[in-house]
This record gives sequence, structure tokens and C-alpha cells, in this order.
Amino acid sequence: MTLTRRHTLSLTALGLLGAAAGCASGSPKKSTKQATEGKELTGTVTVWSWDVAATALKRLGPEFTAKHPKVKIEITDIGYDNAYDKITIGLKSGSGLADVLTVETDHMQTYAAQFPTGFLDLTSVASSMKADFDPSKWAASSDKDGKLFSLPWDSGTAALFYRTDLFATAGIDPKSIATWDDLITAGKTILARTGAKLLVSDVSNGAGPVPTLMQQQGAGYFNAAGDITLDSPATLAAIDIVKRLNDAGLILNVKGWDALVSANKDGKVACAPSGVWWAGTLATEMPELSGKLGVMPLPAVTAGGGRTANNGGSTLAVPGQSKNPDAAWAFVRFCLADVANQVSMMKAEGLFPAYLPALRDPYFDAPQKFFGDAPIYQMFREQTSKIPTITYTDDYAKAGDLLDSVVPGVLLRGKDPKSELKSAAAQLAGQTKRKLA
Amino acid sequence: MKRLAHLPLLVGAVVSLFPFYWMIVAATHRTRDLLHSPPPFLPGDQLFENLRRLEETVGFSRVTLNTVGLTVVYTALSSVISAMCGYGLAKFRFRGRGLLLAVLLATMMIPFQVLLVPLFQMMANVGWIDTYQAVILPFLANSFGIFLMRQAFLDFPDELIEAGRLDGCSEARIFYRIVLPAARPQLAAVVIFTFISQWSAFIWPLLMLNSEDKYTIPVALSRMIGQSRVDYSGLMLGAFIATLPIMAVFLAFQKQFVSGLLGGSVKG
Amino acid sequence: MRGRAGWFFTAPAAVLFAVFFGYPLVASLVQSFQTDADGETVWAGFDNYTRLFQDPLVGRSLVNIALILAVQVPLMLVIALGLAQVLNLSWLRFRSGYRVAYFLPAVTTLVAYAVVFRVLLNTDSGLLNQILGTHIDWLNDPTMARVALIGSITWRWTGYNMVILLAGLQAIPKEQYEAAAIDGAGSLRTYVSVIVPQLRPVLLFCLITSTIGTLQLFDESFVLTSGGPDNATLTPVLYLYENGFQQLDFGYAAAIAWLVVALTGLLSLVQFRALRTKS
Repeated sequence: MTLTRRHTLSLTALGLLGAAAGCASGSPKKSTKQATEGKELTGTVTVWSWDVAATALKRLGPEFTAKHPKVKIEITDIGYDNAYDKITIGLKSGSGLADVLTVETDHMQTYAAQFPTGFLDLTSVASSMKADFDPSKWAASSDKDGKLFSLPWDSGTAALFYRTDLFATAGIDPKSIATWDDLITAGKTILARTGAKLLVSDVSNGAGPVPTLMQQQGAGYFNAAGDITLDSPATLAAIDIVKRLNDAGLILNVKGWDALVSANKDGKVACAPSGVWWAGTLATEMPELSGKLGVMPLPAVTAGGGRTANNGGSTLAVPGQSKNPDAAWAFVRFCLADVANQVSMMKAEGLFPAYLPALRDPYFDAPQKFFGDAPIYQMFREQTSKIPTITYTDDYAKAGDLLDSVVPGVLLRGKDPKSELKSAAAQLAGQTKRKLA
Repeated sequence: MKRLAHLPLLVGAVVSLFPFYWMIVAATHRTRDLLHSPPPFLPGDQLFENLRRLEETVGFSRVTLNTVGLTVVYTALSSVISAMCGYGLAKFRFRGRGLLLAVLLATMMIPFQVLLVPLFQMMANVGWIDTYQAVILPFLANSFGIFLMRQAFLDFPDELIEAGRLDGCSEARIFYRIVLPAARPQLAAVVIFTFISQWSAFIWPLLMLNSEDKYTIPVALSRMIGQSRVDYSGLMLGAFIATLPIMAVFLAFQKQFVSGLLGGSVKG
Repeated sequence: MRGRAGWFFTAPAAVLFAVFFGYPLVASLVQSFQTDADGETVWAGFDNYTRLFQDPLVGRSLVNIALILAVQVPLMLVIALGLAQVLNLSWLRFRSGYRVAYFLPAVTTLVAYAVVFRVLLNTDSGLLNQILGTHIDWLNDPTMARVALIGSITWRWTGYNMVILLAGLQAIPKEQYEAAAIDGAGSLRTYVSVIVPQLRPVLLFCLITSTIGTLQLFDESFVLTSGGPDNATLTPVLYLYENGFQQLDFGYAAAIAWLVVALTGLLSLVQFRALRTKS
């Protein structure tokens, strides 16, 4: 507690929270500038990240130091597999965290609500940039009162990756697919003519594509007020589609990343509904498939409905316990709210910017050789601003776990989805003291 | 008859070792050539390329040295502490003995995961995060090893200890010269188990260490698991190399089990 | 004098336990009576404990490990005992090699273990199905997933117990077990009546540590099945982890931990009473 208070005070003194404290009528942007650029930044900024994200930050660190010579940036790759154990324990302990943390989009609201003082409130310094970011990401990085706790990094704009060769063999025109119903019909033909199933999903152990199908319809586990919508018609519609996919034998039920990649690589499935980052996996692990892949927006749940969702993507946050919050925020801003840096991370590491001005770069119009010279990122750019905003809340993981039990029950043991969802929602209400919407 | 005994033993050994064979296969292919279903079953030719990448991406030789140093220190200290405590519990009556036994049992019974947060807080409070003492100190006293040693000493004849006392030996000398040698097989087992537990420890070193150049092998290898790509061949190569020192330690210490004379002479 | 020597030998361990376990143990107990509300930690009385009894997944996880306890632990200990006995025979050649071979599974890195087993157990292309000539859905069928889990735990831990038993065999006078060594059906009875009673303390040790290991089972079900399919391989500690580290409900996680402690204590006591040497 004392720790938190001390940091709030120091921040106020530094003027970072000046706007929130009553100077909101002035230009917040200006006050940020004064805070971050008016005073010379010093000290060390430690950063935790993983995978290509860590690579990107390690590349940008020296560039930041060139501008702020007295700041030392130290990036640690903490690995992805158990990163959240490390972050959670630091938040719970109120100490031991780095100055900048990589947090995936769907984890952010859980953390922010569970540890309200765990992260620096970025609202006053970042709110002027709101219009520049993927709106669904911005909402996911904010708490229920609209306070921003992390800055969106990359978007996980979802789309349907498909094998053009398998579609051609089966005589399916990809353009004819507008809804999941269309895709199921096409999938049956593909299965019959090529032997390939439609997609990989571990539906014996989780909800599979259900959350994606829900978000396409603008639905999450909770509504904007935080009431439970786990048993909404949107969930039912999503489960119904997955059940029909499964009943038609179109789902390849395998577990693990290795199995997902190998099934796609070996053409055991014709499609992969996934985030934009999947393009990077394809190019790295399956160079032999060059020219055999295409991407289209996700099929809609109902004709004319939403055709994308968020699947993955990260944000950068500054923990409240940071001893060097000014420099930490300056680094976050330097990396993420900067066209050149965001574009460079797309080019070098395949991180698709959630920073919308960066998407105007000509790179996103360029034909992609791997995808048969189709300018696939144009479509992703177009869909990114359309990703429906959903409310995660701090009980997102609980709700997700319950859904992970419902879906296998329906698919494998033939349980009634409606009553299963109803009892899951009731259980969630009991555990979280939230109202049923 | 004697030859025949090898058949089931060989089958069992193949079952035991097959995953290691497959690790070698994986370690000698490119990840992208590995990700087929079914995967290749014969070794490939990418060993040196994978080795180079392992060194380049996670500094494998560096983290191996870190792990060796850390594990040797931990094993030496922890084994001595286990043997001493096991002896104290087996052969002495003293105040607090019951409490100590209860605490030992409790530490074995409580799921380690629930102790992580308070333990982390302690380390943060004393400013030991990102230090090696924080990695080894909390688990230096090891209930499992203590109980194993206690078990070994329970059967040790009291008369021999008494004889040592009559000869004017100090208690420490009796322990070191008379009692400990008789428990060599069990001590060897404890050394092996302690070595392995630290060598392969993952979660606690991951939580404690914040600098890549201080990482241990398991923590460093976890870096090869990313969000949207996993370097399986590098991972398998690292994991395979990591088992080699354990094999060496095992071979060195398992000889103690064969020296059955010791156990016999004590009893007889 | 004696008392002081006892303190001398146990002091290093006692001090380390007091410092590094005393506080965390108490803290976790305290935590089990707390809960988080709007980011504040507040007292919850016995709420976390009463929730244990209403939570169907707690019951499910207990049933799962009861099954493993009943099937896997005896299976593993019998194999380990047989192996230890055979690999202790002085006339057997390549003993060291066999010992290493059987022990190595205990030292596999967890990530490698997970990948290898997923490859072996793959329904369509896995080696196991190819050898057996079957098409069993090892990881997606609730019953078969339990079989796969039991098999993989046995694979990993049999050699470990074998080593403890090997060490224990050394305490038995050589003439006795040489006489009882299996060279024919007749001496199997001698073996059971002569060696097993002598090994009782070590067997009890293996039984109790395996029981504890089972009650705290986490690694295998986490990496192989993540508790699925349909929670058929969910274990109490995996559920604890999900509640604490994924859902950030640390109070409830601590209550699960203490339930595990209570059950472990109870079971160990029963085993200890039942198998204690009479002396």
C-alpha cells in the first residue's frame, strides 16, 4: 500500500498526472511533452518481453538511447511459456517487476482490475492518441472506468487463411464464401475431394474457435456493464457452428503448437482462422507452401455480419512499482506511438501495428510474394479498425475456463448447449458476484 | 537363463530410451522439417547448424556454465545438510525434534505453487531478486533428502556410535568417520536427486533471475518457445545436451550402490 | 550433551526451514482465509473452504488422482522393485547401462517430454498407434487420456523409485538376498518372505513419496493434456494453479493447497500406520 502511494505522489510531482489532477482543460499532449521531453530522462529502464517482440525491442533500445543518452535500456527475454507466472507474482508481491512489461491484450483487463494500483495509469499521457489506435485494443487496455493501463502494440486481426490449391482441387471459389454456413458446405466438398479437413482445433479440451465467433458478433463473456453474457444467443450461435463443423468431421482435433503447425504444413487442413501473425508462422515454417495460400476475412456468423475478431497481439504496460516511470513511458511511446518504429517492427519482426497511422505506410499495400503476390495486408488494415470491441473484465479467465468445459461437453458428450451455458453462467455469477445480463 | 534375462530388460530399456532417441532425431533436423506428421524418425544433418543457433540465441555455453556452478554448489551444501539433519533426527532426542519432523512433513505436503508468492516477497524485500543465492537458499534444506538419510541412519547400530564416544571422538568426528561411510549408497542417491532437482529446476529460477546472462539451462530453453513460433530442434538439442551431465553424475555415483559390502558389514 | 549434538546436526536445516518455509507456510494459511475484492485483500472467513465442497471440479480432480493412486502407484512400485532387484544381481552384465537407461526418464526436461509424448501419442501418425496397430485417440478420449497419463507418469518415475530401492537393497546383508535372488519359481516365495520385510522402511518411503507426488501431480497433466479432455485429467494442484495464477484467485488457490496438505497428511498417516516396522 505504502509503495503504491509513494509512487502516485512522485508521479504527480513529476507532472505526469497533472492533467488528471485538474489541468484537463489544457492540452494534455503538451503536458506530456513537458514531462517526457522537457526534463532530461535518466536512469535504467528494464523491459520484459519474449519471442520476436523481445527481438524488436532489443533492436529499438539503442535507437532510443541515441535520443536519450542518459537512459540505459535493458531488455530481458523471459520466454513466453511462463511469462505470466513471473508477471503475476510480481504484481501480487508489489515488487520485483521490470519497468516495462509486455502483456497480451486479453490479459490486460484481468490484471488491471485485480491489481488496480499495479499499473501506471496512462490515461492523462496517452488519451490524446486514442484515435490513432485500434479501438478494440484500446478498449481492452482500459478498465471499466475508461482508464488506460497499457499502450496497444500489435493487432491480432483475425482472418481466414486458406490453401488455394486445395480449394481449386475441390472446385471451390474462395469468393463464394461469405458465411460460416458457406464454409461448412465448402468444407464437406473439400473433405470429400481432397481428404483435407477444414481446420485444426483442440475442441476436446477447450472452446476452440467459439470466442472468435462470439467476438465477430460483438459479443464477449460480459457486456459493457460487466454483467454476464456467457449464455447469450451469440454464444449459442457460435457453439452451434462449431458443433456442425465437428459433426461433419471438419475439425482436426489435435493438441499443441507443433501439431497445429504440422497439420497445416502437411495439408491435413485447408483453412486456419487465425490472427495476422499467422502469416509470419507460415512463411517461417512452411516456405514450401509459397504461392499456395490465400487470406480472406473470416466468414460471417450471419450474412452481412462482422468478419473479423481479435486473436492475439500484445500491449506494453508500466507497472506502478517502477522506479523510473518517466523514462519507461517515454520508451513505450517511442516504440509504439511512432510510425517509423511500428513499420520497422512489421517489416523486421512481423508485428502488425495497432497504431493506425503506421498502417498507411506503403508497405501495407505491397504484394506479398508468399501469398501469390496478393497485397494481403490491405485487407488486414481494412479489418483492423472494424474489430468489435468487447469487455474482458477481471473475470475473463474464469469465464473462459467455464466455456472451455462447456464446449467439449456439447461436442463430445452431446450435452444440450443451452442448458450447459445457462448453468455455466449461473456458476460464474456465484463465483464472481456478477449479475446475469 | 542368464542370457534370457536380457530380453525383457532390453525391451524395457528401449521403451525408456526411445524418447531420447527421438530428441536426437529432432535435434538434428530443421524445425520446419520436423513439423510434419508423422515427423522424421531418422537423424538429420542439421546438428551443427542447430548448435550454432542454440549458442547464438540463448548463449547456451554461458547458461550451461551458470547451471553447472549453481548445481554443484547447491548439491554439495544440500547433501551435507540432509545427511547432518537426517543423522540428528535418527539418533538424537532433543527439544524441538517433534516440531522439526512436523515442519519437514509439512514442507513435503504443501504444493510448492502456493509458496511462491510469499517466498518471492521475501526475496524482493531483502533485494535478492536476480541473484544466485535467492535461487538456491530457499530449497537448500530438502525434506526428501533428509528423510532418505534419516531412513539410512535409523538402522545404524547405536553400539558403534557409543564405541566412538568411548574412544573420545567428537560427535562431528563420529558422524564423519563412522556413521556417514556406512550410508554411502543412500548418500549417493541423495546426491543424484539433489543434483537433478537443481539442474532441472525451472519455475523458481525463472521467477528469480531477470538477466539473460544469469539464466540457467531450463530458463534459457524456455525462451525458444514463442507465441507464434517454437524452435523445436533447438529446444530438443538443448534438452538433450542438458541430460548428459546428469548421466555422468549418475554413472559416477551409482557405483556406490554396487558396493554392497558396506551395508552387509554394518549389519553383520 | 546429546541434546546439544542433536541441535548441532539439525541446526542448518532447521534454520533454513524456519526462514524460508516458516513465513510462506503461515502466509499461505492466512491467504486461504482471504479473498480479493476490487483489488483489496479482505477477510473471507471460511468462504474459500466452503467453496471447495461446492465446487464440482474439486471433486472431479480428487476422483482423478484417486484413480492414479489406486492404479499407477502400485504398478510403478512393483515394476521399480522388480527392476531394482534384477539390476542388483551381481552376475548381471551391463547393469550400469541398464540403470542409466531406466533412470534417464526422470531427468527429461519438461518441455522435451511434452513434445515427445505428443508426437508418440498422436492419433493419426503417432508411433504408439502404429506399433499397436490401433487408432486410439489417446489425448482426446477421457478414458484413454487417463491411460496415457498413467503410462507417461510411470515412464517418467519408475527409474527414480528404482534408484531409491537399489540404495535400500544395500542395507540388506548380502548373503540373504543372494540366497533369495530369483533363479527359479521356488525362490520367489523366499524373496517375498525374506527381502520384502527387510525393505519395508524403504518401500514405505517410496510409497509415501509417490503418494505425495500423486496428490501434488501437476507437470504431466499440465503439459500433456492441460487437465482435459473434459477435465478427465484435472488434478488438484493443476486446478490450484489455474485458480491462482490464471484467474488470480489466490485465496481459493491457497484453500485448495491446504486441502491437498490435509489429504496428504491423512493418507501418509494411514500408510505409515499400516506399514510401520514393528520394532
